[in-house]
Amino acid sequence: MTPTAAAPLLSCQKVTKQFGALAAVSNLSFEVMPGEILGIGGPNGAGKTTLFEVLSGLNPATSGRVLLEGRDITRLAPEAICHAGIARTFQLNAGFDGLSIRDNVRVAAYFGRDNRRLPGLRLGRETEAITDAALAAVGLTGRDAEMAATLPVLDRKLLMLAGAIATRPRLLLMDEPVGGLNAAEIDRMMATVRRIADSGVTIILIEHVMRFLVRLSDRVLILHHGEAIYLGPPAGLTRDRTVVDVYLGEGASQRLAALIEGGGA
Amino acid sequence: MTGVRRDVLICLALAAAMALLPAMVGTRYVITQITLFFIWGVVVTQWNLVLGVAGIFSLAQMALFAVGAYGTAMLGYYFGWPMPLAMLVAALVTVAVSMLIGLACLRLRGPYVALLTLAIAQVIYLMVVNDTGCFTNPPSGCMPLFGGVRGFSRFGDLGFRAILGSKWFIGQYYVGLALLVLAVLFSILLIRGPLGLAFKALRDNPGYAMSRGVGQLKYQLWVFGLSAFFTGLAGAFYAVQFGVVGPIVFSLTMLLFLLAMIVVGGMGTIWGPLLGAALLMLADEGMREMGDWRDIGLGLILALFVITLPRGLAGLRR
Repeated sequence: MTPTAAAPLLSCQKVTKQFGALAAVSNLSFEVMPGEILGIGGPNGAGKTTLFEVLSGLNPATSGRVLLEGRDITRLAPEAICHAGIARTFQLNAGFDGLSIRDNVRVAAYFGRDNRRLPGLRLGRETEAITDAALAAVGLTGRDAEMAATLPVLDRKLLMLAGAIATRPRLLLMDEPVGGLNAAEIDRMMATVRRIADSGVTIILIEHVMRFLVRLSDRVLILHHGEAIYLGPPAGLTRDRTVVDVYLGEGASQRLAALIEGGGA
Repeated sequence: MTGVRRDVLICLALAAAMALLPAMVGTRYVITQITLFFIWGVVVTQWNLVLGVAGIFSLAQMALFAVGAYGTAMLGYYFGWPMPLAMLVAALVTVAVSMLIGLACLRLRGPYVALLTLAIAQVIYLMVVNDTGCFTNPPSGCMPLFGGVRGFSRFGDLGFRAILGSKWFIGQYYVGLALLVLAVLFSILLIRGPLGLAFKALRDNPGYAMSRGVGQLKYQLWVFGLSAFFTGLAGAFYAVQFGVVGPIVFSLTMLLFLLAMIVVGGMGTIWGPLLGAALLMLADEGMREMGDWRDIGLGLILALFVITLPRGLAGLRR
């Protein structure tokens, strides 16, 4: 449950991202409260990842404003947005392939929060401690020397998540954290995300696996052609005619309704 | 960080061994060839920071070397500056030039960086050799501003001839050794420190690095600037070592020779480029009597390494 009196952590105001004549994100407005988990769903090409590109600064908005705790971050460079407190994971399993697990996380721990006007000659104890904590949070402790390039898909996703946590974000954007994982791996990731949320990090996650989305999210935003067609509690998804028609379909909708009632979402 | 300590110890041990060498092999030829190895060693360890560690395929390093060499020669020739001061200023100018080149390459990737940096180097070269207007008219004849095809000579030296007489080259040897040791220590600290981490992160995945707080513009300028200081200083030392600076420092053969050292030794590693420099200089020495076959021989060695050991000599350890 989100307190309505508090100021929003993130506020998107009429955000539009135009690629030529195509509006991948169109006039989108929503707010995310501190401590909330917002799930984003929608068909392929709905503009979910584009929204993350806009929020993380890799591909800034054509128009509209993005505010983080009231501060306008719409036009900030990606590294400045990271320093401001937004960390992101990627749909493709991004990583620094030539670096070890530990070095992957060290980069984020050292450069993620502090602009480092004049980088030092040593990483220092604080960076190492943050790195240890981030590796522990995703369960990669003790595997420091393994090279990122050799990791299987779940470990790559966890490593990417450890990097995101190591920047000590206030807002974490997760782009399909369980895409390509099996059921047991999804459960493990779900527990990990829950722990991160409990540590006080606000989360926006994009996911097609509805079990994951509805179990974790406080609210769900469904996008279609770059516009919001639903924003509300997960339980309302299956009762919304438009969502069922353009995204879920009848069969999946019935299975999801059973899951929500039976699973205690 | 035990890695730093180990590498620094290796560096100091090698330095001590090299410091004893002139007492054992005193011939002038061997000493000056090893001094030349020190110079190329500095260039390849610094070039490796851009090429191997940061993964930016810049071919501007010999042009930067030339800036250091020409800067030193011109400050000595036109203004009569003492050489140590001229060398230091020339190295700082090299840093500025390098940062400009880094800025120009910011939005380019892979082979496009190679093309642009090679073009910049060639433009500088053509501007030097095609300048035939006389800037001054000394008794020896017309002198273009940048020395033209003839280049500069008699611009000063480090003063070892006055102190050591005919053994002056041994003084130069120790200056070269000191320069290499400093350059290697510098590269160890960079590669094993936070900056090295930033360079490697941007090399492996620029978009991901940016979203983890590593700004591309900033660290591209850092790597171009930092790798240029000792490169410029090596060029400056080259000028005082040979007493002549001419357009030959821009030659493509020299550029490829040094590039081959890095590839053969192992890009992105701390010791690889130095190993490669030693190996290729020895091989070149061995083929001295072979005329045109010398370049072909070097080409074959390079091809052999690229095919059988793509990670270079240093890659053998993995």
